[in-house]
Amino acid sequence: MNGWMQDVQYALRQLRKAPGFTVTAVLTLALGIGANAAIFTLVNAMLLKNLPVSNPKTLVRLGDNSNCCVGEGLRDDGDYTYFSTGTYQQIKKNAPEFEELAAVQAGFEYRPIVARRNGNQTEARSMMGEFVSGNYFRTFGLRPYAGRLFTGSDDVAGAPMAAVMSYEAWQRNYAGDPSVVGSTFWINTKAVTVVGIAPQGFYGDRISSTPPDFFLPIEAMPVLANAPYVHDPAVPWLYIIGRVKPGVALPSLQKKISGVLRQIFISSNGFTSASDKVLLARTHIVLTPGGGGIQNMQDQYASHLRLLMWISGLVLLIACANIANLLLVRGMARKTEMSVRAALGAMRGRIVRQLLTESVLLAVLGGVAGLIVAYAGTRMLLLMAFPGAQNLPIHASPSPAIIGFAFGLSLATGVLFGVAPAWITAKAQPADALRSGTRTTATGATLLQRTLVVLQAALSLVLLVGAGLFSQSLSKMKSTDLKLNAKNRYIVHINPQAAGYSPTQLEALYRTMGDRFHALPGVLKAGIALYTPMEDNVWNTGVVIQGQPYLDKGASWVRANAEYFDSVGTHVVMGRGIGVQDTSTAPAIAVVNQAFVKTFLKGHNPIGQHFGTSDANAGDYQIVGVVEDTAYHSISWKDKPMYFLPMTQEPARLLTTQIEKDESLYAGAIVLQTSRSMSDMETLARRTLAGINPNLSVVKFQTFDEQISDQFTGERMIARLTMLFGGLAFLLATIGLYGVNAYTVARRTSEIGIRMALGAERRNVVAMVMRGAMMQAGLGLIIGIPVALFCVRFVKSQLYDVTGTDFRVLAVAVCALAISACVAGLIPAQRAASTDPVKALRTE
Amino acid sequence: MTENIIEIEGLTKVFYTDEIETHALSGVHLKIARGEYVAMSGPSGCGKSTLLSIIGLLDTPTSGRYTLNEKEVAGLNFADRSRIRNQEIGFIFQSFNLIGDLSVAENVELPLTYRAGMPSAERKQRVQESLERVNMAHRMRHYPAQLSGGQQQRVAVARALAGSPSILLADEPTGNLDSKNGEAVMKLLQELHEEGATICMVTHDPRFAAHAERQVHLFDGKIVAEGELSQLMAQL
Repeated sequence: MNGWMQDVQYALRQLRKAPGFTVTAVLTLALGIGANAAIFTLVNAMLLKNLPVSNPKTLVRLGDNSNCCVGEGLRDDGDYTYFSTGTYQQIKKNAPEFEELAAVQAGFEYRPIVARRNGNQTEARSMMGEFVSGNYFRTFGLRPYAGRLFTGSDDVAGAPMAAVMSYEAWQRNYAGDPSVVGSTFWINTKAVTVVGIAPQGFYGDRISSTPPDFFLPIEAMPVLANAPYVHDPAVPWLYIIGRVKPGVALPSLQKKISGVLRQIFISSNGFTSASDKVLLARTHIVLTPGGGGIQNMQDQYASHLRLLMWISGLVLLIACANIANLLLVRGMARKTEMSVRAALGAMRGRIVRQLLTESVLLAVLGGVAGLIVAYAGTRMLLLMAFPGAQNLPIHASPSPAIIGFAFGLSLATGVLFGVAPAWITAKAQPADALRSGTRTTATGATLLQRTLVVLQAALSLVLLVGAGLFSQSLSKMKSTDLKLNAKNRYIVHINPQAAGYSPTQLEALYRTMGDRFHALPGVLKAGIALYTPMEDNVWNTGVVIQGQPYLDKGASWVRANAEYFDSVGTHVVMGRGIGVQDTSTAPAIAVVNQAFVKTFLKGHNPIGQHFGTSDANAGDYQIVGVVEDTAYHSISWKDKPMYFLPMTQEPARLLTTQIEKDESLYAGAIVLQTSRSMSDMETLARRTLAGINPNLSVVKFQTFDEQISDQFTGERMIARLTMLFGGLAFLLATIGLYGVNAYTVARRTSEIGIRMALGAERRNVVAMVMRGAMMQAGLGLIIGIPVALFCVRFVKSQLYDVTGTDFRVLAVAVCALAISACVAGLIPAQRAASTDPVKALRTE
Repeated sequence: MTENIIEIEGLTKVFYTDEIETHALSGVHLKIARGEYVAMSGPSGCGKSTLLSIIGLLDTPTSGRYTLNEKEVAGLNFADRSRIRNQEIGFIFQSFNLIGDLSVAENVELPLTYRAGMPSAERKQRVQESLERVNMAHRMRHYPAQLSGGQQQRVAVARALAGSPSILLADEPTGNLDSKNGEAVMKLLQELHEEGATICMVTHDPRFAAHAERQVHLFDGKIVAEGELSQLMAQL
């Protein structure tokens, strides 16, 4: 122990003695370790961390994908992840292997609620509410922070309406006011009692940038959200997560649950046709670990995070190579010291230990500094990945896991970059202690030093190529013609359903909205739609053209008002768009896009054709116009058939029976086109809506540009980070190349002096040094090019419209590295050429 | 009969570089008795430093026998040689070879830190005693750069003494010192010898060689003359 302490003390003294080296190495390591710790913070929070609940390892989720949110029909792949209320209850009844089985609303993020505390608050707030089963908190083994959590009796039709507020919402909006518990809130205009506060740190059953502020019982949903599908056996909308009893074998349970699901399908649908039987045979549920909760966000970000882990790992490797090189240089300078130590009886292992202590100490210092970089880096990453997210349950401050990771990484890197220099330095011959000077001219850099530089050059080329491909991908995404016009357009997301409107009141509401917004100076168009382009929402259905056989193909559809197409910049190419005359009482019409015509009506004049969602109602909508194809759900949305229906129209057969159940009648957004840029548009929109109804709150306000830009969030983050890491790797490789060349020149000063004394010209010396530098860079390129081409295949799926073997990118990366090698070689070469042979020989 | 601490028979050392063979030592026979003070001299390149390296287990012979304290050490591996060197041999180098980053006390303590199991208190005590022996205890917290050449060499002697070695090996200990400091160091070695230390010193300065009881003269890798200075002069 005493020896270790001495080693540490001596190591600290060594580092203090060489502040330039120490600062350079610590900063390099801080960047490398910090970048890795920052990425690991996200990986840990999103991919590794369990929900903050009791014994998360025994939680099991029914389903293995992120399909969402309210569906209909059977799945072709037979893999089910979300379920109807009836299916949940049947599974719960037939699976006693679960201690508890809870159901949660699959897509609560898309329909925020409007909440207002009774009496205290004048303005209603748009907040997140998640409908959950009565045993939700019991399943997670949670205790309330205040009040109580749900019991089974809360989740019964007709029960007094209760809500549990999240701790975060309680603190954020009500400053932890204890009187919130037991008080009445108006949620979606209905009186609800907040019975308790969820435990601190509990953010729901999944990581979300908009975690729930309120938890509400499923049976309250028909009243609070007027959702018609809550008890519809054909509409899945719930995720299921449960806690299995000890000793239950999951494979057999999975088989049993899949059997139960098939049985439910048989009893509800019959499954008599041949195609139904095929679908039934495929029907299954995959049980997955539920400790991490619902993994939708994880599924979305996992590949990005894995890629970033690789990239930051490579940068750290390059940083390690740089520091290993620095240590080798220091090792050479300390050769005499090591010889003396050996002469005094130090064994090689003891010297290695001493030197490794120095490297590990250096790495630990780098790790500590890296935590600061990690904190800043994580904040930057969170801002890049979740722009505008207020309540994200991922924190940048280092947790024990992150500190442990940084410390472990520091130790590993300390050993990684320290072991070779330590071993080489420790091989100092004790007999050298007797020699006061060298007897021959010193040689240049060692093979290991050169190898490290070649490795750095190769790795930095790989990262540069990656950075080039991702930035090219982002650039192509940004320059894609979406056939949308975002200039002077604003998107106001609303939820009239939460404001208490019934479907029959909507036509008048939309008319009022149009009038009020048109009354604002500068507003040219006020489009109203179920959802808008590039907002991560899409409604799909099957399509049957009247008089044609069913093609087993579907289309996406949107409800919109008469000004909608103009407001988003979509052009009508045939017939007409939706008009003001297309009211709820007018015959049901539809406007389709070009891809719809190509898919379902090739060779026919679409105008006047009828279609519906099934054989039985193929005459529901008459096509009156065709609009051009536009990107809708994402940038890569191409050639997707779409149709547009008037905001409040229903086919005649549904007018009397279905209108109250039709959630699609509720507009999700208003698109405002203005004559100029209006910075106060959000305030005006809020005021206008509040003027119509105080409960009509703004769920989200963005410019259309921002909404489109949000679609590139992941790609932008990857492109920026790969560029950042690629640049860093490039810089480190250049420094490494320069360092080795400079060191070589310094070591060969006497040799160069002798050469010059023997008649070598300055250009010969420059050429000699440059040859060495270019040789290393060249070898790096020879190794790096095939590796880069090989690695591209692993990121190809994350690139947009980039083939993966883009030779322009490769050429730019190769040129950049070649230029850096020239610069890194030229400075030491010039220095070598200016060597005074007399002085050089005297020094020797 | 006097006990020999070192017995060398037929020792050779050949250096191989590319296609050149350099015979640094060719059949050296040498015995050093416990308590003896031997000076090795000879012209540059005669092999005296090579012989000292082999005696000090810094290097290994190409052939021949070498017995240190009645133990055959010629064929030992690196680790065993390190251990014996640490316990049995004290080095005094021409260029002092103090470690600049360590204080005087730490430099003296350094060989003791390589001995497994020696308690810290014992190390401190030995350091204190060694530095007192060379009259450098008052500078124990200083660093080598703060000392004169003579003082540095005295610290180097203290370092060599700290481990209570069987033999002190000195390689041109006055080579980097002025005559006054050189004389002081030689006086110190003389005193140590009188207290019973075995010393083997390489020097080419006859004035300093005269301090030794016996001189060994090397030429072309061989011992060509041996005896007291007067005898040696006669032989030569």
